[in-house]
Amino acid sequence: MDPRTTLLDCLRETIHLTGTKKGCDHGQCGACTVHINGRRVNSCLTFAAMHQADEITTIEGLGEPGRLHPMQAAFVEHDGYQCGYYTSGQIMSAVALLKEPCGPSDMDVKEYLGGNICRCGAYPNIVAAVQAVRRHSLL
Amino acid sequence: MAVDTGNNTLIGKPQSRIDGPVKVSGQARYTSDYSFSGMLYAVPVGATIARGKLLSLDTKAAEAMPGVRAVFHGGNIGKLYRASFLMADLVLLDEKRPPLADNDINYFGQYIAVAVAETFEQATAAADAVEARYAAERPVMNFDLLRGTELKQSDHRGDAVKALAGSPVKVDEVYSTPVQTHNAIELHATVAVWEGGNCTLYDTVQGVGNHQLVMTQRLGIEREQMRVITRYLGSGFGGKISAWGHCCLAAAAARNLDRPVKLVLSRRQAFESAGHRPATQQRVQLGASAEVKLVSLQHDYVNTTAMVEDFTEYCAEASPFLYSTANMSSSSALARRTIGAATSMRGPGAVPGSFALESAMDELAYQLRVDPVALRHRNEPALDESMGIPFSSRHLTEALNAGAERFGWSQRTPEVGSMKRDGLTLGWGVAVAAWGAGRFASSATVDLRADGTARVSCGTQDIGTGTYTVLAQLVGERLGIAMDRVEVAIGDSNLPAGPLSGGSLVTSSLVPAISRALDEASQRLVTAASLLPDSRWSKARPEDLEVVKGRLGLKANPSGPALSFSEVLQQTGVRSLTGTGLSDGTILEKPKLSKHCFSAQFAEVTWQPEIARLRVSRVVTVIDSGRIINPKAGRNQIVGAVVMGVGMALFEGTEYDPRKGVALNSNLADYVMTTHADTPDIDVIFLDCPDFEVNELGAKGIGEIGMAGVAGAIANAAYHATGIRVRELPIRIEALLKRNQTGRELKKEPWQTHPTTKTKPQPHRANDSPDAPS
Repeated sequence: MDPRTTLLDCLRETIHLTGTKKGCDHGQCGACTVHINGRRVNSCLTFAAMHQADEITTIEGLGEPGRLHPMQAAFVEHDGYQCGYYTSGQIMSAVALLKEPCGPSDMDVKEYLGGNICRCGAYPNIVAAVQAVRRHSLL
Repeated sequence: MAVDTGNNTLIGKPQSRIDGPVKVSGQARYTSDYSFSGMLYAVPVGATIARGKLLSLDTKAAEAMPGVRAVFHGGNIGKLYRASFLMADLVLLDEKRPPLADNDINYFGQYIAVAVAETFEQATAAADAVEARYAAERPVMNFDLLRGTELKQSDHRGDAVKALAGSPVKVDEVYSTPVQTHNAIELHATVAVWEGGNCTLYDTVQGVGNHQLVMTQRLGIEREQMRVITRYLGSGFGGKISAWGHCCLAAAAARNLDRPVKLVLSRRQAFESAGHRPATQQRVQLGASAEVKLVSLQHDYVNTTAMVEDFTEYCAEASPFLYSTANMSSSSALARRTIGAATSMRGPGAVPGSFALESAMDELAYQLRVDPVALRHRNEPALDESMGIPFSSRHLTEALNAGAERFGWSQRTPEVGSMKRDGLTLGWGVAVAAWGAGRFASSATVDLRADGTARVSCGTQDIGTGTYTVLAQLVGERLGIAMDRVEVAIGDSNLPAGPLSGGSLVTSSLVPAISRALDEASQRLVTAASLLPDSRWSKARPEDLEVVKGRLGLKANPSGPALSFSEVLQQTGVRSLTGTGLSDGTILEKPKLSKHCFSAQFAEVTWQPEIARLRVSRVVTVIDSGRIINPKAGRNQIVGAVVMGVGMALFEGTEYDPRKGVALNSNLADYVMTTHADTPDIDVIFLDCPDFEVNELGAKGIGEIGMAGVAGAIANAAYHATGIRVRELPIRIEALLKRNQTGRELKKEPWQTHPTTKTKPQPHRANDSPDAPS
């Protein structure tokens, strides 16, 4: 592994797990969000060689058509995307948020997802999807 | 047969996207997701001056680096041709100069070479190692565009100058909008694969057909040798219509090395060399009578363009017909600047134009002391006065009324700073806008299959707007089958030529093409009846048969026996039956009716003068754009347009260093865009009035109209809250701080709630506006 290779490029170009997206390569858009040992991380800001023994979950590890993760299903139900490019990052952040000390309100969710840009502006639907999953998981 | 609009189950009903499950699971394949055996990576090298000559390039060090296969430049990349601009083909291309064509440098970041290596890391390092020597000249970077620029008249009626001189109430102001960059989150990318002289480009484009035409010309090959594939696009907003230079670099490198090449632009490169909305400066002059009637409207503007490319941002496109006035004129000019080629960005012309005109209308309302909604009602035209023809449909009055009611506009007190809530000052503003409606010439085929499914194919693409789903709705509705029984094939230039995803025209173009394809398929199903074993069908005269909801029956007995298309095909031993449909374009026709969509935007801002904090809290947007095929995706698109409009009003602008000509904020942290946390409450109302002059479903486009008007409404709301008229976007804290300490007592004359003829006009004085320089 080239020591210059980011975790993002390693996932996409070497392992061919292309569900994780590159939007800025600077940690500014959140499209590359993955979970490393259960925590959300911008995979463009860390080198692949630094994660030899880590457990990494990408969007492909959450679910697939026919057996979607509840958050993925909620994004479909609430139309929480348009182009879908940044969606993997939004969903990986949203799933991580479920275990974070995020307050109950829409504004809390908006703050916790502030690092995930959606240029299509599907933000209200994304928040609705996240809140629907949170409400369901409380029951 | 016309589409049955009365008893449908799919159209006009909110539908989840059929491509949703692959999008949420990372399985939708975007351009840069493709990889091929033996694929190389290309990284372009950009000029580090904005104007001058490239004297020499030293590529030796780069070529000697590990994994590097080539460094191409003007001397060794091979011929890249200038694409012709053929209106007949509607080829859209905003940077016509081929990359590496000569040694002239016209903007910072202009490609001077491209490094190709086995890995992305190696190619990046090699690109960094290319040394260039330049003879630099001073860049042309000032944005005071109107000063010293000669304008050319484009529209006029009556005598606007004379009428203005005689008007008792006048507005004469200049409004500016900055360079804005599309910043689709998907980076521009090209994956080029050559096989025996044939080229396949996996590319990030809004028009696979347009791209095929342009790239064929660029590379000097025939059309059948070029295939363009865009199965999914990570949005475009106009920025992915043109075939930018990097597409040529990737295709040429792959041809020269006979290996697949992947090229993904960096975010910075996208700012420099893949288009932007040009900066504009617009002078709007309005003259009104004491009776609150516009008597003169002048809209003159200049926009930036690259040194060697022409691009007009038609800011005054709607000004000739938006309001009724006997005297109107507009003029425009281009201002050459050392920045990359400008291109269309969501609502080109209409978006910055509406900000200027609607700000001026708000200023006029304050001068006349009349409600801004009432001012617009008072000047609603009966027909398109620019062409003297009727509107195919125009429901702007209803839009304003519906929005005012939902927003609670009647509670508005017009005095600046007069409305409070929870310790915050509120500002309420309104703006309207228009965008053209019509069709691109399009074709599509629909296959009916014996297994009861259907396949629709069209060389269009889904850029996030929901085209996959709309096609499944249109076909499923007519055939009476569920959407998951419809296979949608798009995003491939090998498919029947379809519309470009631009101008909000895809859905309105596809409706007639799909309808005619289904007509032809239905007719063939009738013809196939003669082969059916049951003599009831085989002996029937074709003219006595009809296909309704995908079922063959007798016209005379609509509730009688019928066969599904699948039964007909199975019983006749046919696997599938195809219908092809064409729809004609409206772009080049001389209109008999003025076809547009309209919007009314109502915005609320909150203002904390103590810390000069302005936030957008609420937007109500009313869209008059015909019938909405999928309200779920449609509403989302309008919400997204409002989100982008909030960014335009408060955050967005590409900043250039005037000495170097480099974009300073060419990344997603410094070019500020609306985030989750900035998003206001957004309420969308679709008037849903079909316009059957555009197509048989009455559907028009919604992509652009949702954004036009937003920035104007917010700027007007900001004035209402703060008393500061910001005429230069984005509305920055500096502009609000500047006047914050010098709040001014407003005039106390009574306000008109409804326009009457008794108004006492306020005389215009240049230094009488609250924000005049003190």
